[in-house]
Amino acid sequence: MLTITNLRLKIGEMRILNGVNFSVAPGEKLGIIGPNGSGKTTLFNCISGFNIAQTGKIVFRNRDITHLAPSKRAGLGIGRVFQNFGIFREMTVMENIQLALEANHRSVIFPWSKRNRQNKEKSLEFLATVGLDNRADEKAGSLSGGQMRLLEITRAIAFGAELFLLDEPTAGVSPKMKVQIEHSLKKLHDLNKTVLIIEHDINFIQQLCDRIIVLDLGRVMLDGSSEEVRNDPRLQEIYFGTNGHGAPEHSEGQPRIAAAV
Amino acid sequence: MDYLIHLAILVGIYLILAQSFNIVFGLGRMFNLAHIAVYAIGAYTTALLSTNLQMSFWICIPASMIISALFALLIGAISFKLDHDYFAIGSLAFSSVVTAVLINWKSLTRGVLGITGIPRPEVLGIDFSDNTNFLFLLSIFVAAVLISVGIIFKITFARCLRAQAEHSHAARSLGVNLVRLRTNAFIISSAYAGLAGAFFSYYINYIDPSSFGLHEMVFVLSIVIIGKPGSFWGVTAATFFLVLLPEPLRFLSISPSILGPMRQLLYSLILFGVVFWKRKTLFPVERSV
Repeated sequence: MLTITNLRLKIGEMRILNGVNFSVAPGEKLGIIGPNGSGKTTLFNCISGFNIAQTGKIVFRNRDITHLAPSKRAGLGIGRVFQNFGIFREMTVMENIQLALEANHRSVIFPWSKRNRQNKEKSLEFLATVGLDNRADEKAGSLSGGQMRLLEITRAIAFGAELFLLDEPTAGVSPKMKVQIEHSLKKLHDLNKTVLIIEHDINFIQQLCDRIIVLDLGRVMLDGSSEEVRNDPRLQEIYFGTNGHGAPEHSEGQPRIAAAV
Repeated sequence: MDYLIHLAILVGIYLILAQSFNIVFGLGRMFNLAHIAVYAIGAYTTALLSTNLQMSFWICIPASMIISALFALLIGAISFKLDHDYFAIGSLAFSSVVTAVLINWKSLTRGVLGITGIPRPEVLGIDFSDNTNFLFLLSIFVAAVLISVGIIFKITFARCLRAQAEHSHAARSLGVNLVRLRTNAFIISSAYAGLAGAFFSYYINYIDPSSFGLHEMVFVLSIVIIGKPGSFWGVTAATFFLVLLPEPLRFLSISPSILGPMRQLLYSLILFGVVFWKRKTLFPVERSV
């Protein structure tokens, strides 16, 4: 499904990605963890096209997408859930879903058209799956943080993405909402979608993913099953800096990992 | 009665101009300060074609719209290189270049002397020299523009524009091609502005570069900001409000030399008031990854 080979990215004098290599099979759920600043979000930016790597190659469904524009990559089936909420707050909840349907070859030219009516009905169906159909006409900005996440994940499903890039989908949401998000993500499993998920909470990621990679200093340091990675002593080194880098700088990512390891 | 017809014609022209600006600025939040320049290009196209080449209404109107739309491609090119405030400054520079050309290309535009004797159109054998007839002709075009803009506001195109204004990365991750989207927005908006310019030219019978200065841009901007950017009905109502607002001043015994500046002052105060009152929501900060 996705193969990343020797991906390197330097922004200014900072080497963000330093030769990333891994591949993901269709339907696989891959968790990505690593201290803050390890290059996780930048890796997602490279896959979705917001950053273009200086060297290396990204192949998605047998097509080299390394230099493709973000909108073209999205058109090939790469969906993204952003770390800092990618919903359109000024639009209604339903419009967020409508846009996903319309952007994916169902654009509406006349508001009175049958397609527009169908898109609205379909949007409501998608919203009903996460219990947001009763808030369809409200502004998306009025939703709680967790509901925004649900909306964003639902939007990516409505868009018809095959590969989901989820950047900390449970960050800043209540424990109750976290359970709902987890349910929503399990749906991706049922739909046999391929998922790459960045998370700090290793317990959460272990429930969802078949495999975990640990990123540090822009490189894949560990790659294996959740159990293997969790029991690998190098994980503690990476997070606690016993290999000579990082501990104080990576404070935000530590506590949850530390508790979980 | 003539006075009321005159006001109705002004409202009609500004409705086209303001709604066209509402597409790029209201929906797309692209601070295109060159909008008045494409309005000028539309006005000059009709003025030149109808005076120098005696071209008919059916050639002048599409020509004004097409040439204005072509210039929009240049504005679009600026928008791809510059974002937000930088785009505003870049588009302002573009507008200044257009004004400089209008002033200095004397062999074509007659510079500051302007173009006089622009004939009123004759369509299907009907003479539109009479203001009542002209208002009727303009009303047909205003209705067509308002209906089409009303439709635009409810379709995918508008949703994409609103989405890219708020979170361009999220919009692109849904397959929205920003280059094509913004170019289309500039083309549509500028074509309408060119149409407004053509009617302005026909109506006033005389145009010069001073009709298309920054004060005119500020006026159109005021209409859209006061009407609420992106609101079709709000901008429609604000056009009536702002075009008609200074008219009662005419009935006061004030010297014309004071009346003009008073009008500008009034607009500025209202604009300042709305911007101050709505300062937190008027220009939302675009979010990123």
